[in-house]
Amino acid sequence: MTAIALMELKKKTKDKGLWFWTFLLPIIFIVGFITIFGESMGADSEQLVVQIVPGYTVMFSFYIMISIVIAFIKDRDSGMAARLASTPLSHLKYFLGKWLPFVAVVLLQIVILFGFGVVAYNLPLGDPLALTVLSIGLAFVATGCGMAMAVLAKTENMGIALTQVIALGGAMLGGLWLPVEFMPDVLQSIARLLPHYWALEGFKIVLLEKGTISDIWLSLVILVGFGAACSMVALLAYPRYLRLAKS
Amino acid sequence: MIQLHAIEKLYGKQPALQQIDLTIPKASSFGLVGPNGAGKSTLMKILVGVIEDYKGQIKIDSAPYVGNQTAMKQRIGYVPQDICLEETLTARDNLILFGRLYGVKGKKLQERINAVLELIGLKDREKSLVSTFSGGMKRRLNIGCALLHDPDIMILDEPTVGVDPQSRRAIFEMIHSFKNNGKTVIYSSHYMEEVEQLCDHIGFIDRGVVIEQGKLRDVLARHRQSSIYVEGKGISKQLLTGFEGVTEHEEGYLIESQTPLQTLEAVTCHLAKKAILPARLELSQAKLEDIFIKLTGTPLRDNGWEAQQ
Repeated sequence: MTAIALMELKKKTKDKGLWFWTFLLPIIFIVGFITIFGESMGADSEQLVVQIVPGYTVMFSFYIMISIVIAFIKDRDSGMAARLASTPLSHLKYFLGKWLPFVAVVLLQIVILFGFGVVAYNLPLGDPLALTVLSIGLAFVATGCGMAMAVLAKTENMGIALTQVIALGGAMLGGLWLPVEFMPDVLQSIARLLPHYWALEGFKIVLLEKGTISDIWLSLVILVGFGAACSMVALLAYPRYLRLAKS
Repeated sequence: MIQLHAIEKLYGKQPALQQIDLTIPKASSFGLVGPNGAGKSTLMKILVGVIEDYKGQIKIDSAPYVGNQTAMKQRIGYVPQDICLEETLTARDNLILFGRLYGVKGKKLQERINAVLELIGLKDREKSLVSTFSGGMKRRLNIGCALLHDPDIMILDEPTVGVDPQSRRAIFEMIHSFKNNGKTVIYSSHYMEEVEQLCDHIGFIDRGVVIEQGKLRDVLARHRQSSIYVEGKGISKQLLTGFEGVTEHEEGYLIESQTPLQTLEAVTCHLAKKAILPARLELSQAKLEDIFIKLTGTPLRDNGWEAQQ
């Protein structure tokens, strides 16, 4: 498992596209939207920063799904997944070896984007433990969705299209672009069904209200629940993925 | 010794392998031969544990494969037909990955990598990205990845597809070194001349069925037929009616014979009596490919039955 994980990490460090999607583009969005909303709407500075920095962090963390889909479909179509199945490595270890590096990338993404928020906009961080646990929950749900998508998608294009729907649709409906209080009641109800909303709500409680783990338990339960459900789907669909890879 | 008994594999409802019985002696080099899509790769994937949903039994040195997969996989070096390398990583990184997957670590791994890089002739390119390699270099590295754990069984699935003559020669030398080191080599190809050159045992597979197997020399002795080829002005099928097994071939005629020297003498005398000087008069022996076609009626380089399915 370590061998696969290390190889994946090495590949990630060389993937310029991933660096762009994961770090550069979110920073551009954060700077752009804070500038636009700060100047045109005169919003409260701290509330604006606490909406936009975690909001876009959550949104772009779901973009890791694209990289996961591409990695798995490439492995399937190139014969690498079948080749690895001929080694003594167990299916579960292969699965975890591929997954964990993506979790690490999302965690690094959160650190860098929040770090940028602190340096550029005095983003308050709140309780470090709560922030860490919530970040792990977010990484778990985003990569879990990605793993499910990766083993279910028949083609790369299909996987990327569905990822866009989840990332962008979730961001729009989950209140990442606009606080849910400004949205119609129906959309507010829909927002509460999405992990994006609960991740942002958790971050707001930690950052704005100095909340601790006990204050964000509901967000954590929902994120872990979503992540576990997606992981279960991924694990159940994994034998089918391997069958496709082998034939 | 590797024994396969009653192996069957279905893709959907289509049988890919049917009642395969094969015996591969220890330290032999076994050529698995058949047209594209005959079932060679499927059989190899079963042997290396990639395909698990099949019927039948496999034993390696009398131990059943099922239930001992991890130990068995540790004994096998598999070179798939596809080039399975991480193109964005260096040659050394790829070797590190596969070495670790087989549990080779630390100083031993570095020693093995250096030895393998020497063997595959890529020592000077170990730090180059695989994406910069030629097809032949990738094929050699593909083989190298299967060698790091020093397996005693090498399974190579069409390892010379699309390679230049130099790399092909290098691959042949590697396979000869496996044989000389006492490894069991299973080599699949639809290039008969390669198998004839590399292997001492052979199995013909067509439409998912093994139609012939055994020592190469025994198979050749069983099926090899000599023939006389004659071509020239005034030579017709009618002229050769006194001979059996005459068929049109290229610009002339082929006369099959179990006693080629006598037939050659008879043909020469017959033509001399008629005062005909042939442009070509040759004694030739059927090659493996001719034997295969005779047994199956399927040209080797055609897309085979499984592909047509």
